[in-house]
Amino acid sequence: MKSPTAAKATSSDISTAGPALKELPDGTRRGARGARVRRQLPTSPWLFAAPGLVIVAVFILYPFISTLNNAFTDKRTLIPGEYVGFANFSELLHDDMFWIGLRNSTLYVLVVVPALVLLPLLLAMLVQKHIPGITFFRSAFYTPVVASIVVVGLIWVWMLDERGLVNAVLEAVGVGKVGFLSDQWLLLFSAMAVTVWKGLGYYMIIYLAALANVPRELHEAAAVDGAGAFRRFITVTVPAVRSTMVLVGALSSVAAFKVFSEVYLMAGPAGGPAGEDTTLVMLVQRVGTGLTGRVGYASAISVVVFVVTVALMLLVLRADRKEDA
Amino acid sequence: MRISRIPRRAVAAGAVLAVLLPLSACGDGDEGGSTDASGKIEGKITFQTWNLKANFKPYFEGLVDEFEKKYPGTEVHWVDQPGEGYADKISADAAGGTLPDVVNVSPDLVAPLAKAGIAMDLDKAAGKYEKEYLPGAWKSHQIPGTEGTYAFPWYLNTGPLFYNKRLFKDAGLDADKPPTTYDQLFEDALELSKKSDGKVATLANAPTIEDFGRYGVPLMDKEGTGFSFNDAKGVELLTKYKKLYDAKALDGQALTATPESTGKKFLTEAVAMNPGSALDLEKFKKDAPTLYKNIGITPQISSTGKDNMYVMGLMVNARTKQTPAAVAFAHFVTDAQHQMEFAKKVAIFPSTKGSLDDPYFTKQDGKEDTRVRVAAAKSIKTAVNYTPVLFSEQMKVELRNAVARALQGKESPKEALDNAVKNCDRLLKQS
Repeated sequence: MKSPTAAKATSSDISTAGPALKELPDGTRRGARGARVRRQLPTSPWLFAAPGLVIVAVFILYPFISTLNNAFTDKRTLIPGEYVGFANFSELLHDDMFWIGLRNSTLYVLVVVPALVLLPLLLAMLVQKHIPGITFFRSAFYTPVVASIVVVGLIWVWMLDERGLVNAVLEAVGVGKVGFLSDQWLLLFSAMAVTVWKGLGYYMIIYLAALANVPRELHEAAAVDGAGAFRRFITVTVPAVRSTMVLVGALSSVAAFKVFSEVYLMAGPAGGPAGEDTTLVMLVQRVGTGLTGRVGYASAISVVVFVVTVALMLLVLRADRKEDA
Repeated sequence: MRISRIPRRAVAAGAVLAVLLPLSACGDGDEGGSTDASGKIEGKITFQTWNLKANFKPYFEGLVDEFEKKYPGTEVHWVDQPGEGYADKISADAAGGTLPDVVNVSPDLVAPLAKAGIAMDLDKAAGKYEKEYLPGAWKSHQIPGTEGTYAFPWYLNTGPLFYNKRLFKDAGLDADKPPTTYDQLFEDALELSKKSDGKVATLANAPTIEDFGRYGVPLMDKEGTGFSFNDAKGVELLTKYKKLYDAKALDGQALTATPESTGKKFLTEAVAMNPGSALDLEKFKKDAPTLYKNIGITPQISSTGKDNMYVMGLMVNARTKQTPAAVAFAHFVTDAQHQMEFAKKVAIFPSTKGSLDDPYFTKQDGKEDTRVRVAAAKSIKTAVNYTPVLFSEQMKVELRNAVARALQGKESPKEALDNAVKNCDRLLKQS
């Protein structure tokens, strides 16, 4: 919407530009050349958006529609397959591995998300202070974010191996060896710890930006009223960064539900002992790829992943709206 | 608002096109060539190998140059794919219609490609060359349930069992008398674990389909319609492995092990035995000199009298537009002369008739790697590829999970193997 001032300026420009003037319903006048310009203007945004739209259509919309379509077929890697209705979804209900994947992915969300909402906030409050050398710590905490997940995974596998650094320390202090990479649950929680460790720096940066906008006066006023550090955190910091916490919660819950790399690298392609650490996305990769991949069945699992992630997002946003109300 | 409607339509049309155009590209396309390889050998072909460029670039470049010189008018474009995700790369190419003309494959990769009509039947296109290869090698790329042979046999590989003499001695075992039977192996493994207080395992790998085969378990019926590794002998093997696992004679991380991780375990002297090839000796010498000083070499343990071997092949894409050139090149790479040249560069064994009688594979010169090579060449004449060609990656996962459940005690060996066979049969029917 053009402001009245702008409209007047345009009208005046046109009146000096040429003789062919038209009276418009709103009382302004416009030349034929101006009308041509106006007619062409609305196409420009679309032209600018076109490359992006094409990319979205080809790499997001088309694969999405294709996956949705495949979920109702028995398509294989090398065989087109036929329409089978809800057979894939019905098979999912009786597939133990699907339930294991759903359990692990859900557990990942339940453990990782609270940690990723809270710990980066505490870290951000620590590194927010302007003290000498703090830049080093900010960079150090951010380093895992930019490190390749494959490198990170391999480093942690070496660290948590039976002959790795962590077990050497545990043995030295008399705890003895712990089967981080051989026990079903320890393996899954180790992968969760790596996810949290790698994500801390990323969310810390988001919180740093939010904390920079919290007025210092609020803290000072609370301090004057006798509030301690914990009280100030609860009554001043948390309400001020609440919307950022919701954002972090939404982003990390979707990422946690779709976890693949950490678990794959630490538990191996089989998904841990007897596949007990398999997550849903690992299951999609396992059943849907390779020369004998069941593309239709893997697509059905993908659809479930999509529905759950959308539900998670809605749940978090709804919780936020309720808080606002 | 007429003006704004036009771009919306244009955008909608663009979006529809963007969605439909890629769809249209997924059509059947041109089915391509024929099995008639009798025409003039000319044209441009693509040749894909499996993780060979890093170590053998000069050999393959020489091979390509030699072929192009021998057949003027031909042009071979060589591409190499990394070992990791090789099957995925082939499946993506096969599904997208971009599979190279000549492709390095193993029998289990050939099976689905042959069933989908993507691998050329060489009995029809190149049957005249069959007599040049070892009969077992030529048969290795035949698929139960189909007629024909779907790849030229290329190099074969097998290897001995390496063991750590120091660890054997420390456990009070005779380091010069390594186990030669399964019973001795299990006995020594339990002793080694007991003496080291569970700190040293003898094996790092849970049993795979090859182990079941080597133990004498019937893996599949001859028609290729069902698996049978849940028979009494299979249950017996898994029960023995369970005993090893409980006694920590099988490494604690065996259930999540990969070939790389087990290799590393042996290298760091965390486990006492590991299968390998003559190529590994160089690696031990370079990366683990202490281990190399104590390395012991013994033949594979097998109840059938036949060692396990790995078979590589060269498949010709059934949709190639240059059938004569592709067939000629695949034969050229796998003929006796070139396989022999390749074998002298790396510890592999040719699949061509008579090649294994070459002095290179029969005469000792006192060197350790020659001893391994000569012994392996001798065993490969009778060795078999225990992995059924119809045993897909998904089936391997089913078996691995079943073995893990049995070793952890969540299911009995019989129950675990019955479930694995049931699931593998289901996957077989779906393939």
